[in-house]
Amino acid sequence: MDISQKPLPRMTPDTEPFWQGCRRYELLLAECNACTKVHLPPGPVCPFCFSDDLGWRQASGRGSVSAWTVVHKEWFAAFKDDLPYNAAQIELEEGPRLTANLIGVDNDKITVGMAVEVTFDDVTDDVTLPRFRPLS
Amino acid sequence: MNDIVRDKAAIVGIGRSQFGRFLPDSQLKLGATAFKGALADSGLERSDIDGLSLHMGWPLGLDYDQIAEAYGLDVRYVTQMWTHGRFIAYTLQHAALAVISGMADVVACVTAISFTREREILGGPGDMEGMREGGGTHGENPPYGLTAPAAGAALAYQRYMALYGATSEQLAAVPIAFRKHAQLNPHAYTYGKGELTLDDHQSQRMIVDPLRLFDCSLISDGAVVILVTSAERARDLKQKPIYISAMQGLRSGRDEFIFAPRGMGLNQQSNTRSGADERDLTVYRNAGIERDDIDGLYTYDAFSPLPLFVLERFGFCAPGEAAGWAQNGRIELGGELPMNTSGGLLCEGHIGGWNSVYEIASQLRGVCGERQIKNAKHLQWGTAWGDSLIFRR
Repeated sequence: MDISQKPLPRMTPDTEPFWQGCRRYELLLAECNACTKVHLPPGPVCPFCFSDDLGWRQASGRGSVSAWTVVHKEWFAAFKDDLPYNAAQIELEEGPRLTANLIGVDNDKITVGMAVEVTFDDVTDDVTLPRFRPLS
Repeated sequence: MNDIVRDKAAIVGIGRSQFGRFLPDSQLKLGATAFKGALADSGLERSDIDGLSLHMGWPLGLDYDQIAEAYGLDVRYVTQMWTHGRFIAYTLQHAALAVISGMADVVACVTAISFTREREILGGPGDMEGMREGGGTHGENPPYGLTAPAAGAALAYQRYMALYGATSEQLAAVPIAFRKHAQLNPHAYTYGKGELTLDDHQSQRMIVDPLRLFDCSLISDGAVVILVTSAERARDLKQKPIYISAMQGLRSGRDEFIFAPRGMGLNQQSNTRSGADERDLTVYRNAGIERDDIDGLYTYDAFSPLPLFVLERFGFCAPGEAAGWAQNGRIELGGELPMNTSGGLLCEGHIGGWNSVYEIASQLRGVCGERQIKNAKHLQWGTAWGDSLIFRR
């Protein structure tokens, strides 16, 4: 592993469409065609009704911070220049949560419950990461 | 109630190496020292050991065959767990089940850790857990810089503070209690360093907000070996048997996150808390006791929120109350519910939690001197993720 580089998401057959969506600046939720419930992270079956009949629904991109932290310790050299940096769990309007960084907000202004919306960051030619910023 | 395992297996020997940081010995050597200690303690011979239950596999341990080969064992039963806090209970439980079912007569539970020589494995570039398919268990998400388990505990306590008004100052009660215990334990690596004050805690640097330096266990080196045999065989041995009265496994599902109480809104958990789940209280029923009969509670305390969360898991207090409940010495020796009386991972050493198993057996033998829990009869191992064993003398 090249430790001078930040890790990229690991793609699997279950998660690849999610990351392809991000490249198009679309935040996708795995959706069950049988029971209509959505879930994250994308799985091989519906975790609620166990159906194999899955599709994708575009999320609104809005949600709220459900948990957050600010990392002060260098665990991984590639993040050294970012210290201290935040990471948060975001509860999307549709219910599922995902983890990402918050941008456009000072670390000491982050609160549980703050309203945020997705923004997309092309970190390489092939990979786009969703991040979140305060809802405008 | 199911008493099929009640008091049918027992700890009959305990051994340990030195605990410390940057110890020169290999994992195998540390383990050999603890192994010899356990044999001498029990009066058993090496040839009596016919089972191995290991808590030292991936990501930082040896495989079972190297251990059997190096120690000259010839065993007929092996089980091996990952070196994670969530597999401590299973390592003991599988040993108990093996001797109860006759798959083995005497099982050696072995953990030997050289964390300081494998620093990069813990949350660093060598930590592949967050990068394997499915990622890590503690909320790791390496593309966003969450590469270490500590971040999972930080996310959970941050939310806990927001939900219940708990504070960093309240959290300090955990390392303050365990440091106090470690000052009564010459084997602890913080022995002689003095007690912690609230100011000491608050003035230390933030590691991963809201966890400060003393909220995170230091990585350390050391080994513990625990010998388990059937109650029948135990009665003929040198030491007074420490019986395993009941046991239960860890909980998992979309409403669970390893470093938060059930239903607290981490990962895909619901936002619905309730009091202690009857499923989690099964361990008391199966031991034939009430929760109030527990004389001391031992838990995996890699990060200081975890001992608070275990109090809520097992209903010692209600959801959201643990941070307040733990104040004023309540979890200290002499308090209502002493926890981690040897200092735990936070203050004795991060020996994968086995330092606390060693302590449980020592307390029930009544040999802990200044830090002895008076008349200790029932002690519990229980974690924030719900696994548990109850031990009695």
